[in-house]
Amino acid sequence: MQAHSEQAIAVTAKTFVWVWVALLAMTVVEVLLAYFHVPLLLMLTALMGLSVIKGALIIAYFMHLKFERFSLFLTLFPMLIFCILLLFIFMPDSFRLMELRPR
Amino acid sequence: MAEARSETLVPASAWGGGASPFAMNSKKLGMWLFIISDALTFSALLVAYTYLRLATPNWPTPFHFSPSILFASLMTFVLLSSSLTMVMGVHAMNHGHRRRAVGWILATMAGGAAFVILHATEWRHLIVDEGVTPFSNPWNEPLFGATFFALTGLHMTHVIVGVLYLGVIAIGVGRGKFKPEDVEVSGLYWHFVDLVWMFIFPLVYLMSVHI
Amino acid sequence: MSSPVTHHAVHAAPKGFLRRYIFSTDHKVIGKQYYLLALFSVFVGMLLSVLMRYHMIYPDAKVSWFEKLWPTGAAGGIMTPELYLSLMTMHGTIMVFFVLTTAPQSGFGNYFLPLQIGAEDMAFPVINMLSFWTTFAALVVLLAAFFVPGGAPLSGWTAYPPLSAVGEIAGPGQGTGQTLWILSIALFCAASLMGAINFIATTIDLRAKGMTLMRMPLTCWAWFVTAILSLLGFAVLLAAGILLLLDRTAGTSFFLPAGLVVNDQILNHKGGSPLLWQHLFWFFGHPEVYIAILPGMGLTSTVLSVFARKPIFGYRAMVYAILAIGFLGFLVWGHHMFVSGMNPYTGIAFSVLTMAIGVPSAIKTFNWIGTLWGARIRFTTPMLFALGFVSLFVTGGISGIFLGQPALDLYLHDTYFVVGHFHMIMGVAAIFGIFAGTYYWFPKMYGRMMNETLGKIHFYLTFIGVYAIFTPMHFVGVAGNPRRYPNFKEFEFLGELLPVHTFMTHAAFFTAAAQLIFLFNFFWSMKKGAKAPVNPWEATTLEWTVPSPPPHDNFGGRLPEVYRGAYEYSVPGAEKDYLMQNEPAVAVKE
Ligand code: HEM
Ligand SMILES: [Cu+2]
Repeated sequence: MQAHSEQAIAVTAKTFVWVWVALLAMTVVEVLLAYFHVPLLLMLTALMGLSVIKGALIIAYFMHLKFERFSLFLTLFPMLIFCILLLFIFMPDSFRLMELRPR
Repeated sequence: MAEARSETLVPASAWGGGASPFAMNSKKLGMWLFIISDALTFSALLVAYTYLRLATPNWPTPFHFSPSILFASLMTFVLLSSSLTMVMGVHAMNHGHRRRAVGWILATMAGGAAFVILHATEWRHLIVDEGVTPFSNPWNEPLFGATFFALTGLHMTHVIVGVLYLGVIAIGVGRGKFKPEDVEVSGLYWHFVDLVWMFIFPLVYLMSVHI
Repeated sequence: MSSPVTHHAVHAAPKGFLRRYIFSTDHKVIGKQYYLLALFSVFVGMLLSVLMRYHMIYPDAKVSWFEKLWPTGAAGGIMTPELYLSLMTMHGTIMVFFVLTTAPQSGFGNYFLPLQIGAEDMAFPVINMLSFWTTFAALVVLLAAFFVPGGAPLSGWTAYPPLSAVGEIAGPGQGTGQTLWILSIALFCAASLMGAINFIATTIDLRAKGMTLMRMPLTCWAWFVTAILSLLGFAVLLAAGILLLLDRTAGTSFFLPAGLVVNDQILNHKGGSPLLWQHLFWFFGHPEVYIAILPGMGLTSTVLSVFARKPIFGYRAMVYAILAIGFLGFLVWGHHMFVSGMNPYTGIAFSVLTMAIGVPSAIKTFNWIGTLWGARIRFTTPMLFALGFVSLFVTGGISGIFLGQPALDLYLHDTYFVVGHFHMIMGVAAIFGIFAGTYYWFPKMYGRMMNETLGKIHFYLTFIGVYAIFTPMHFVGVAGNPRRYPNFKEFEFLGELLPVHTFMTHAAFFTAAAQLIFLFNFFWSMKKGAKAPVNPWEATTLEWTVPSPPPHDNFGGRLPEVYRGAYEYSVPGAEKDYLMQNEPAVAVKE
């Protein structure tokens, strides 16, 4: 608990405002990106990349994970990320479905 | 066998008990666990959406800049800002400024409410003006509306629940009942709702922009 | 103790019947509530199964009370195929969710996790109460499906679309009944999520001084890993359930492709994919089977060690095996989908991973045998059931290896072979775990011993009975008998199987009757059994250091301190042949 409050002081309100500005800036980039004629896959990658960065910022600063013990991160996130990745095993079937559609 | 027994002589100090290994109270850990689970529910829905969309040759991309994208961007702005006010509320509470914390939490709730109102307007526009429903739409790809309403609907439910939850917290803090950690836990939930939107916004809206 | 974790202050026992027995936040009361809910459910489920077995060999029999119970489903006293399917669906759902998921984890886990790790209660007592009552509501909603127009749903515990998604047009129970089914499962998801959070937080935060992770009894490890599986598995099932509910109520087409013709009617859906449901469902479904079996494994390990009077063989290996099973359990769901039209390359990967899960399973089995090796075994009833668990687990595991080969599964899928496999391993093995737990912990829960003679009779009859029911199913399956068919006699090539089916049905009646012995023993012992001492089995874990039944705050306000692991039996030089976990270090003579 003590360690925790020490760190809480280390983060000032200013940090949060900067994080907020960064998040907004990335959102603006995302919206602009949507209006460029880029290939679908590239666009998806860019958007998701930015979203992951935004998510990471929210988790690290707003949700305070950066200032918790690292063991908490290790307990929670590998299993979540692992499961999310597993869900992508569905995708080969999606492509097959596409191939099998009557044209 | 000898080793096995020598292990039994390890003194009890190996684990002190009574303290969280993560140096956080159980409530906060509980909320984190809930968030992990809920995040997986949303991920599964997003993956289902991706799966169905990839398998559909002509997925419609109907969102015009005005009003859809404009509204959605505004909603993102509102939600991100409400996260900022929330974090300020937690900050104030941690430093013992109860009144200020209540103010920040109320601001957060206002942000949440604004999000819901904007979103409802946007839904109304889609349903009434564009004719998009969960089961049909002008582009004859019923799954477009289905995925749209399922994802944004579940997210909006989370926002509404969050506003109510924050309301309870604000009242409790105002009356001097809740501790800083209670505010922090509610903050975790609120930021999570924000976080989910960071993925729904690009995947649902920006990937379907009408150019 | 300067930490904030101790926020759940010592609470005095609440007064008043309602707060004490109904809306109690005491983990022990909640544990018993869960257990009794599962006990009720298992008898409902068993009744349904006996009716199904009866219909299997006498499909044309006229039974007058069938008609009273199901005026439309059994008009004239003859069970319709639809009624058979609805009994099957309800049987599977009740058994998987409300028995196998509820009793070992939520029932025993709630009661004994805090006791075994030396805590006064779970981390979130109120959420614990809510999670029980949500489970209760889920059961009520499920059973309500019997009483709505159209009756109970037909689509099995796996609820595959399109059947489950298109509504009434697909059959009598597919209207309101199926909707209630989904609502029930959604409620169950919520309850399991609450339970899982509670279990994980409790295990991490509330262990008593000295209870390191590697000193926890294997039961606690099993509950812990099971809770993680629930946390992740039910999250995905919830997503699937939401989508299925929308398909039924909002007219969406998530799981419904274009051009579906059901009962000569073209359905107005487009774009969806039934395969998507199968993926989402089994992403949960395979972890679910481990949710059902892991607590039984943990308990079996403890019971074998207690009654063999030997330390568990390879404690660490056992812990790592539980973790490995939990991990691999998420990687194999596709073995349920080999013939679903899934990408065959994915199928091969799933097959290999499925084989890999045999490794930690084998580690566990060999360690159990190692524990028994050379031991002077005390053949008590809990021990017999634990031994039965090992036997059934091996039998079922071996048929699993068959099913894990895509080439073989092409033939075996959806035959009775699968029914045999999962009943052996998930059905009966897990039930044997529950029985072992009941006989083992009953003295602590109710303060009285169960009758050993009746217990042993119950064991032998049940053990013989279940092998008699489920072994022939494998052969019937290899002979080509499909599962979920109400009337195999309609197929000429299956006609010869009648004697086998008759045998299985008789065995089922016999085994079901034997359960009445258990029921009698349970309630009789509750009132009339011999008073239980503090530690009747001479076990080492912390629940045996407190009175039977334990007081409201478990340890009388003073939390125990733990000095050793949970399996210190046959300690040379010790006065007794075991050392309790809270006995301070003693000098051991070599
Ligand atoms: C070595 C271990 C195991 C292997 C290789 C294995 C393999 C399989 C395979 C391939 C199937 C699909 C068969 C088909 O539908 O065609 C299956 C079904 C099933 N297994 Fe296992 N399994 C194993 C252990 C378990 C365990 C430990 C449980 C439960 C505690 C279990 C419960 C089930 C259930 C319930 C089903 C049927 C689901 C349904 O279709 O309703 N299995 N198993
Ligand atoms: Cu499986």
